Amino acid sequence: MTLGYVGWRLLQVVPTAAAILLIGFLLIHLAPGDPVLALAGESGDAEYYAFIGDKFGLDEPLPQQLLTYTGRVLQADLGTSYLQGRPVAEIITERVPATLVLSSTALVLSSVGGVLLGLYVAARPHGVRDTTVSSSVLAVYAAPVFWLGQLAILVLALGTGWFPVQGMRSPGSDAGGLAALYDVARHLALPALVLASQEVAAVYRLTRVGLADELASDHVRTARAKGLSGRRVMLKHALRRPLVPVVTVIGGRAGHLLSGAIVIEVVFGWPGLGRLLLTSLQARDNPVVLGIFLVVAFAVVLANLATDFAYRWLDPRVRYQ
Amino acid sequence: MKARALVIVLVFSLLAMACADTGREDDGEAQETTTTTTSGEPVRGGTVVAAIDSDPGQLNPAITTSGAVHYASELMFNGLVALSPELEPVPELAESWEVEDDGALYRFQLRDDVTWHDGEPFTSADVKFSFEEVLLEFHSRTKASVGNALESIETPDDHTVEFRFTEPYAPLLQQLDVTEAPIIPRHVYEGTDPQENPANLAPVGTGPFRFVSYDPGQEIVLDANEDYFKEDLPYLDQVVLRVIPEEGNQVIALESGEVDWLFEVPGPDLSRLQESGEFEFIETSVNPGGANCIMTVSFNLDRPIFQSVEVRTALAHALDREQFLSRVQFDQGRVAEAPIHSGIPFGHAEGLNMPTFDRAEAERLLEEAGWVSEDGGTRTAQGVEGVPDGTPLAFEFLSFPTFSQYGELFRAQLAEVGAEVSLQALEPPVFADTVFTQRDFDTNVISYCNGTDPEIGVRRMYISSNIAPIPFSNAAAYRNAEVDRLFDQAITTVDRDDRSAIYEQIQEILVEELPYFWLVETVATRAYTTDCQGFGEAGHFAETAFCEQ
Repeated sequence: MTLGYVGWRLLQVVPTAAAILLIGFLLIHLAPGDPVLALAGESGDAEYYAFIGDKFGLDEPLPQQLLTYTGRVLQADLGTSYLQGRPVAEIITERVPATLVLSSTALVLSSVGGVLLGLYVAARPHGVRDTTVSSSVLAVYAAPVFWLGQLAILVLALGTGWFPVQGMRSPGSDAGGLAALYDVARHLALPALVLASQEVAAVYRLTRVGLADELASDHVRTARAKGLSGRRVMLKHALRRPLVPVVTVIGGRAGHLLSGAIVIEVVFGWPGLGRLLLTSLQARDNPVVLGIFLVVAFAVVLANLATDFAYRWLDPRVRYQ
Repeated sequence: MKARALVIVLVFSLLAMACADTGREDDGEAQETTTTTTSGEPVRGGTVVAAIDSDPGQLNPAITTSGAVHYASELMFNGLVALSPELEPVPELAESWEVEDDGALYRFQLRDDVTWHDGEPFTSADVKFSFEEVLLEFHSRTKASVGNALESIETPDDHTVEFRFTEPYAPLLQQLDVTEAPIIPRHVYEGTDPQENPANLAPVGTGPFRFVSYDPGQEIVLDANEDYFKEDLPYLDQVVLRVIPEEGNQVIALESGEVDWLFEVPGPDLSRLQESGEFEFIETSVNPGGANCIMTVSFNLDRPIFQSVEVRTALAHALDREQFLSRVQFDQGRVAEAPIHSGIPFGHAEGLNMPTFDRAEAERLLEEAGWVSEDGGTRTAQGVEGVPDGTPLAFEFLSFPTFSQYGELFRAQLAEVGAEVSLQALEPPVFADTVFTQRDFDTNVISYCNGTDPEIGVRRMYISSNIAPIPFSNAAAYRNAEVDRLFDQAITTVDRDDRSAIYEQIQEILVEELPYFWLVETVATRAYTTDCQGFGEAGHFAETAFCEQ
């Protein structure tokens, strides 16, 4: 991997970002529904609606609005929320920690869980163990996430009382330090588990199939013939190559860490970016919607770039030109 | 190794949040707490956690009519008056008032013992500033009504404020509560853009509770205002408004004890909660986001099909409104008996000749109007003015997705009389654009909220000057010069009985012409734990509440 290649790939981000901005802007502004009508509320008069349109520049021609917006973005200004009257960057930033905590916990749980389950069944493919795990994972994957979420709330929160029903912290809690960490962890458990259970299937399937092929290959057979232990053969010789497609999947998911999980965040009252996106879409708070769109899209681009570079580390056969 | 890195990121994120400043203000002294538990007697101390369904984004109720903001912020503010359950004005920031010049001049005497939460004294200058610089600019309802009639606001001294109108203005006292006209501090907002002032996230008010912290998307924490001007109030130490977006989960949170108060119990859950015996309930038609709402069918009078009053009457006869009440509203509310909500006693007319459910009469009227049925299926036009012969009696019905059950029942009931209805559910901004800007619809259902006075939420539906791209105005495009004149007359008629007579006259005309059909008056059922009592219905719901410790 040469510096020239890295530079070239980074340069490619520029037109991608421009295309993202243009497409995002047009999609949001060409969608049906006038933001003025959404913003102004009921019972206003014509003068009031004209005032709102003028205040937010919504009565300007679309190309003019695009130019103004692009100019702002180039100065790292994502604009001001129509509804909250605050900078969009500030609004997005305060929601990022909650989303990162939920998404990254789910990503870790699903990645580790998927690989471990793959390892668990790969040694004896097509057996009872394989059938049981595969069907269970697929059943959970096939279940609608809002249903799983509600089920978890009814059984594990309301039924057992072990977990809180909603939110990220206890009501009115001003605890700090370890007590706050424990409080957040209790609230995090259910949404993270439900989100991870949906994502574990892909990692599990790729690991299982890759390992099954790998375990039948010559170099694994040779390793076994040399008298290496089963665990060493599995972890040192068999697992590495199947991990390449698994990393692709995990890399793709990592890019979506910021976009949050809208359904999970709504079901569990988790105050992340996904919920902010949904409420902003419903209220036609376009600067916030577009801001989240840009931030998330940019994160996906960078995560894909990082994933490409990670291939080289995992599979020495990969060469960059 | 990657997994380990992610775990490290996670732990650091959790630690960062644990150590983060949540914006909470330390009041530096503990609240005095009394733990007497005499049943029925107010108990001092304790916390109530209330569920709200959306994050308000900001907490200034004077710059918006958004229900989310008003639910979250009204406990921190006051109006010049409050409204009794019968919607009569009672003193709040104003301790008394006089009406002069036949209703063209209102003079308010303000309390002299009110301070803002930051310790500054409240004066008449705050009232003048709130109206002139904020409410009449940004609060759409107050701007559209009071703003169009007001001539000036004068402040002869620190505790007197006078509203002068160009001609007598009757509804003012119904428009001065914390929902319609919250008073905000001049010393905090003067010289700033009220929509971008940082105090919108950390408000300074005069209300029973003062701001402590706001975690966006999560909760707003309020502490008791120890200097509140109403003696001995509030009883609670703290109120936490917790954002729980999904209504079913609000109920679960109530059942699990995570919250103590719900603003609205979903219909399907109500009977279960009632049977449990663990909760108390308050039924009300007044909400911070909109009061006295009627689910109303609009007929687009620009469409030839609906220009015949016989057809509109026939369709009204075909609708069994009891079914809408029981199947869609789970019996929360009542069948509408007049165009003006019964929650506005002086506006609501009794004994009107509203079309009742009568399928045979509906079929007879449709036949008379030229909509004939040959095989028992969809009727077709024969000699209907403006409609080619053979045109089927088929039309669209638009609603918000949340009201789609109204559409299902509307379609089923009208199919029984040979009308074919197709349904379309549109998100609110798209609905408003389609109905009020493009006027591309046949029929729809809208929850028209009448407010606390017909001037706020009734007039807008019927006056011909509101046939314009103004959301939730005159959807039917109804034009009647006499109705326009009567509404204008009602605004300037201060005598309550005379004003009632005018509204009765208006409603008689409306029921005869049926530009709309009024289905059900909806109510919200509040629910709260039996450990607490003393709750109010709407904005200041926790002002007089107390809980056993």
